[in-house]
Amino acid sequence: MESGHTGCAPALPLVSIVDDDESVRESLPDLLKQLGFAARAFSSAEEYFASDCVDQTRCLLLDVAMPGTTGPDLQRELIRRRQATPIIFITADKDIIVRQRLIEQGAVECLFKPFSDTALLKAVNSALNPK
Amino acid sequence: MEAQVEHSAGEIKRLQRCINDLVSLLALPAVWSGGDPSQVLHTLLDALMRMLHLDLISVQLKNPVGESPVEIVKIGELRGPIPPAHDICEALSHSLGGNSRKWPPLLRKFMGGGDVSIVPLPLGVQGELGVIVAAAQRADFPQQTEALLLSVAANQACIGLQEARLRSQQKRIADELDKRVAQRTAELAAANAELQLQVGLLQRLPVSAWTLNPDGTPDFVNQVWLEYSGQTLDFIRSHPEAWMIAVHPEDREAASMAFWEGVRSGQGFAFETRSLRVRDRTYRWHLNQAVPLRDAGGKVLKFVGTTTDIDDQKRAQEELRASENDLRQILDGIPGLVAAITPGGVPDVMNRPFLEFFGKTAEELRSWSTNDIIHPDDLPRVIDAFTSSIATGTPFDLEIRYHRADGVYRRFEVRIHPARDADGRITRWYGLLVDIEDRKLAEEALNKARSELAHMSRVTSLGAMTASIAHEVNQPLSGIITNASTCLRMLATDPPQVEGARETARRTIRDGNRMSEVITRLRGLFSKKEPATESVNLNEAVLEVIALSIVDLQKNHVSLRPELADNLPLVTGDRVQLQQVILNLLRNGSDAMSAVEDRPRLLLIRTERDEGDRVRLTVQDAGVGFDPEATDRLFDAFYTTKSEGMGIGLSVSRSIIERHHGRLWAKLNDGPGAAFSFSIPRSSEGLARADGIRNPQPPAVPGPNAA
Repeated sequence: MESGHTGCAPALPLVSIVDDDESVRESLPDLLKQLGFAARAFSSAEEYFASDCVDQTRCLLLDVAMPGTTGPDLQRELIRRRQATPIIFITADKDIIVRQRLIEQGAVECLFKPFSDTALLKAVNSALNPK
Repeated sequence: MEAQVEHSAGEIKRLQRCINDLVSLLALPAVWSGGDPSQVLHTLLDALMRMLHLDLISVQLKNPVGESPVEIVKIGELRGPIPPAHDICEALSHSLGGNSRKWPPLLRKFMGGGDVSIVPLPLGVQGELGVIVAAAQRADFPQQTEALLLSVAANQACIGLQEARLRSQQKRIADELDKRVAQRTAELAAANAELQLQVGLLQRLPVSAWTLNPDGTPDFVNQVWLEYSGQTLDFIRSHPEAWMIAVHPEDREAASMAFWEGVRSGQGFAFETRSLRVRDRTYRWHLNQAVPLRDAGGKVLKFVGTTTDIDDQKRAQEELRASENDLRQILDGIPGLVAAITPGGVPDVMNRPFLEFFGKTAEELRSWSTNDIIHPDDLPRVIDAFTSSIATGTPFDLEIRYHRADGVYRRFEVRIHPARDADGRITRWYGLLVDIEDRKLAEEALNKARSELAHMSRVTSLGAMTASIAHEVNQPLSGIITNASTCLRMLATDPPQVEGARETARRTIRDGNRMSEVITRLRGLFSKKEPATESVNLNEAVLEVIALSIVDLQKNHVSLRPELADNLPLVTGDRVQLQQVILNLLRNGSDAMSAVEDRPRLLLIRTERDEGDRVRLTVQDAGVGFDPEATDRLFDAFYTTKSEGMGIGLSVSRSIIERHHGRLWAKLNDGPGAAFSFSIPRSSEGLARADGIRNPQPPAVPGPNAA
């Protein structure tokens, strides 16, 4: 699978994906590329932070429920590091209360799986171009 | 010698004349008898004047008791001017002085133009009566014989005066006595008349009137009492306790005590007895009252009393008391707290349950707004509503928490309603407080059970399965959508990215397969599990489901009509799963009618025997129905016409029914709406009753059995 072995200095805006779900890591980067972005996928928060893409990441697609460090944990760590990367949560749990809370805590959007490509595009655009 | 003879003849004549006069004087008392003092004196003076040829004679009587001084002057022939009698007397008094003892027997004075010889004659032993003064101008006045006559006359005057005085005194006394007697007689007559009147009154008063001696023995008894008791006055007088005979035997002891206590203490008494009326031999209630009559020193002279027939009043009182008692019992028997309230808003009468609930007296309960019987959070609202009601006359209907005697708060439904007179004015308010705490608790328990069941529907097999399917399917589904989107975009570029499209298509197909596997696997998992089997009364199961969903149905204005067959056979199966199916069908039926406005939202649920020893349940709605072309697809997984649904319900319901060896199907009605039915085999034992209930009552505490 393509996962972008180039170093993290992409010409196109970089969207990073952190999800323990393999099918997500498999499918999303290709879609994002079709939508005009660069994409890198990571299986955990640790892998993400261990990479050199943290600073380059223009938008983070983050799973909520992950073993070990969860999505919100990762979000807090970024705040601690003063890394103002815009975050779009993706989750299978269709709980609108949780969604609301995540957005209140700073996420740009929280998408429920399965989401359409148009929903994804809209979310990423608003993350990259905040009004 | 001749001169001596003449002298002697004259002397004899003079003596004869003197004796005659003496005799006359001595005879005067006879003349005087019966006369008054002035009469006496006048007679005497006239006699003396005549006898002695006096020029003046006067008398002065000193003031006897009750009479004015008497002065009489008689004048003879005096030469010269005649001074008035009074002056003469005064002059004489001056000349003579007060003390008669010092008077000379003879005085010569110049009066009336010449010298006059004056002889004072004191009257009385010491002249205390008065004085007679005889005067003459003759030089030889008074001669011996004249002097004798004068002194005898003075004596006679005394005698006469004293007798006259005595007589008049006696007369006066006699008159006084007569006057007194007359007065007394008149008084007595008047008193007598008064007495007669009083006695007449006493006799005529329409009460028994009587008097007692200070020792309590009978003194006087009026006619009324005699007639009433049939006793005679003699009998009463000779039998001091005759009155007791008329008293009812049961009352005698108390009456006797009161009577004798009253007599002994001198205070009198007042007590009630039943006394026998002789005329018709009935006992009637009487009030016996006596008051003491005291003299100026406070000693009791008599007791005066009456015995009044109070029988009618007493019976009326008893009837009133009895009817009040009945009313009271009715009031106390009402299974609620009842109070009567004045038009001004003050609680007046309270029934026994009312007082017992609060454990307070009626008096304490009147201050309900301050004595803590109402929950403090409810109090402001209650005071507002109450004062408004009382002021405007509109009834009051509120739910209030009251503080029971044991300290617990109980919820009450309180209604206060006015009662009006013929003119529409409010005469009273009546309040009824009904304890609804138990009902409320039951409602709350019901609500709790309902929400628990709803919650349980998430953890029963249906819920669990739904959740697991949703979760398991979600992943491949997301992949399908993402990969498919990518694939399409890749094909749309110029030139198309065929290699990428091929890859994403491959993934899509792979995920699709995976999804089917998941569903198949879960279904298989589901079908492998044997349901908990028991004998199920389908009617009861239906009723429980209805109880739990009735509120939602009513909120959606759905009219539920159960038609549950009598003698429905029992079925064997998992009670809870069957209830889930019924719940699912009811919900679908209700949802199907959510847009219906022009006809009643009627939801029919029917149980009946089906052929081949089966039991059928049907839920029929009057809703929008379904597309007849899609009849089969209704029960497919994910088929849904609802915007929020995932269409799991009917699919799973069918699975459940099939595992019960039954079948679930749908049919469009002749009219609007559809009917969903399932039919499952009956069990080998027993029959279920429908209880003949057309409008089911929810069970007190619904408890679906654990699956």
